[in-house]
Amino acid sequence: MAESTYEARRVQIEDTEDIDRTEVRSYWTLARQRFVHHRLAVIGAITLVVLIVAALVVPLIAGDTTGVSASRSFGAAEVISEDGELTLALLGYSRTGNNLFGQLMAATGTSLMIAFAAVLIIVLIGILIGSVAGFAGGWVDNILMRVVDIALAMPGLFIIIAFVAFWGASVWTVILAIGITGWTLAARLVRAEFLSLREADYVQAARALGATPRRIILRHMLPPALAPIIVAASLGVADSVVLEAALSFIGFGIPPTQASLGTLLNQAFEYLNRDPILVLFPSVVLILIVLAANFMGDGMRDALDPRQRVEQR
Amino acid sequence: MLTYIVRRILLSIPILFGVALISFLLVYLSPGDPLAQFRVPNVRPEVLERLEEIYGFGKPLHEQFFGFITNYVQIWNPDAWGLSITHRRPVLELVVERMPPTLLLMGTSLAITVIVAIPLGMLAAIKQYSLADKIVTTFATIGYAMPSFVLGTYLLIVGAIWLGVFPFRGMTSSLSVAGDPLDIAWHLVLPVSSLAIQSIAGWSRYIRATMLEVLHQDYIRTARAKGLGANRVNFRHALRNALIPVITLFGLSLPALLGGAVITEGIFSWPGLGSFGLQAIGQRDYPVIMAFVLLGGIAVVIGNLIADILYGIVDPRIKY
Repeated sequence: MAESTYEARRVQIEDTEDIDRTEVRSYWTLARQRFVHHRLAVIGAITLVVLIVAALVVPLIAGDTTGVSASRSFGAAEVISEDGELTLALLGYSRTGNNLFGQLMAATGTSLMIAFAAVLIIVLIGILIGSVAGFAGGWVDNILMRVVDIALAMPGLFIIIAFVAFWGASVWTVILAIGITGWTLAARLVRAEFLSLREADYVQAARALGATPRRIILRHMLPPALAPIIVAASLGVADSVVLEAALSFIGFGIPPTQASLGTLLNQAFEYLNRDPILVLFPSVVLILIVLAANFMGDGMRDALDPRQRVEQR
Repeated sequence: MLTYIVRRILLSIPILFGVALISFLLVYLSPGDPLAQFRVPNVRPEVLERLEEIYGFGKPLHEQFFGFITNYVQIWNPDAWGLSITHRRPVLELVVERMPPTLLLMGTSLAITVIVAIPLGMLAAIKQYSLADKIVTTFATIGYAMPSFVLGTYLLIVGAIWLGVFPFRGMTSSLSVAGDPLDIAWHLVLPVSSLAIQSIAGWSRYIRATMLEVLHQDYIRTARAKGLGANRVNFRHALRNALIPVITLFGLSLPALLGGAVITEGIFSWPGLGSFGLQAIGQRDYPVIMAFVLLGGIAVVIGNLIADILYGIVDPRIKY
């Protein structure tokens, strides 16, 4: 009996094969489509990809990019050297023979690496604290949110400078300092998402079926909470790049012997009277990164969470 | 209202305690010796011992923190915030001394920001998609993406090097602290521009967004429908409501009045709290660093409180 009903239904389904069907589009497909339609976001994404590729490839080709040197000699710009070698010395060479374009790209790489690593820490701490607070609620939430209040009341930049100065200026202390001071926004976003998801019907259902808290958090609550985290992360990249540059610029960041956008700016500032144009290159790259990351963040917010869209662009 | 304020102040005590505890641990647990500058052959061991005793660096950590925090609340006592290691003077006195230049710098730029950003944001919102809107949004986006120290450097190049019109650094031309007001104003131009342009960018973006939101509300349509003039609708009905969220922004900017411009002060050698704090970090002047962090915490708490009180005043829907 049951067998035949099943058969009958199958036939019925096969009959409808030629009916016009709209393709089933998943959340991520939709999000990707919305992102691609956001022109500035696409431009931002392309800019970032180009910068990352250039930062990885150019220093390999460009020969000597080590060290930070500010002196510049005019007119030596070249793409292929006299010996027919590819040098990509678009900005010429410094007096000590450094390929300035190669150096700029190496610096971009260092700065982006620091920013990505710092954002990784920010996101991890944010998810950890936010999900525990939002999932547990009650007094746990209360205590963790007071910790967030304390973190927000501290002068962030000053703490970062002090941390790096006391623990020794290096790439790692800069990453750590930015990471451990910047997680409050991510934590708040995750918490807010978790607080509302906690009462959602499907989470209640999972709980009723006996799912462990671990499973509920990782499988049912974290994926929908990812959208705001991704947005916060891309905006965090912009902030972190600026923070690194600011730190190194005032001489409290990574050691001046290592090229980053901040150390290049710092050196260029020393030579401000003699060669003001030197400031231009690292600062333009810095502004490009910030713009690109912000545009991408805006685009991702519109794509991942259309409810939050403020206005039509 | 009064009970609300009192409750908020009481609630901020544990937060400030937390700020003190965390920054204390951060500073005192870090490697390195704050008295390193005295560990040279021509400082006698007895003197060093006395210094260690005065600053209490030899004692266990919890005793140090307890002593620190009990001293700290005795604000009426000039020595309450300890002695600066490098300057050998009370921290409280030094902080008060360094405060006016910072207040002048940050206050001027905040005032200019408010005066310029509100009309700009409004203009962009009222004439949405017009040329004016596009110019304002483009300016706001670029200004927002340009870190203030980059902007400051550009301004130095143009104003101090190419044009040679404005001074390169400092607050006064002569070394005396009390300069003539015109001279100070002349020195203010570049640092204030670098701070103000960036915050104008952020503010006008925000004001444009809130204004647009308000302009799409039903009561605005009602006001237009009953035949009110554009100015009356825009200024009396829309602007007043659009400014309510701006108060939050104002509250958030207040802490910066005291120490936000660490880097700008550094670039322009402005003799304020920010550059003072930077020097203190460089010289490991622990008492000064703690004072700076706690001052920042107090400023944040007060800024938030002021914003909330202003909220209650301008928005009759909010009652305390």
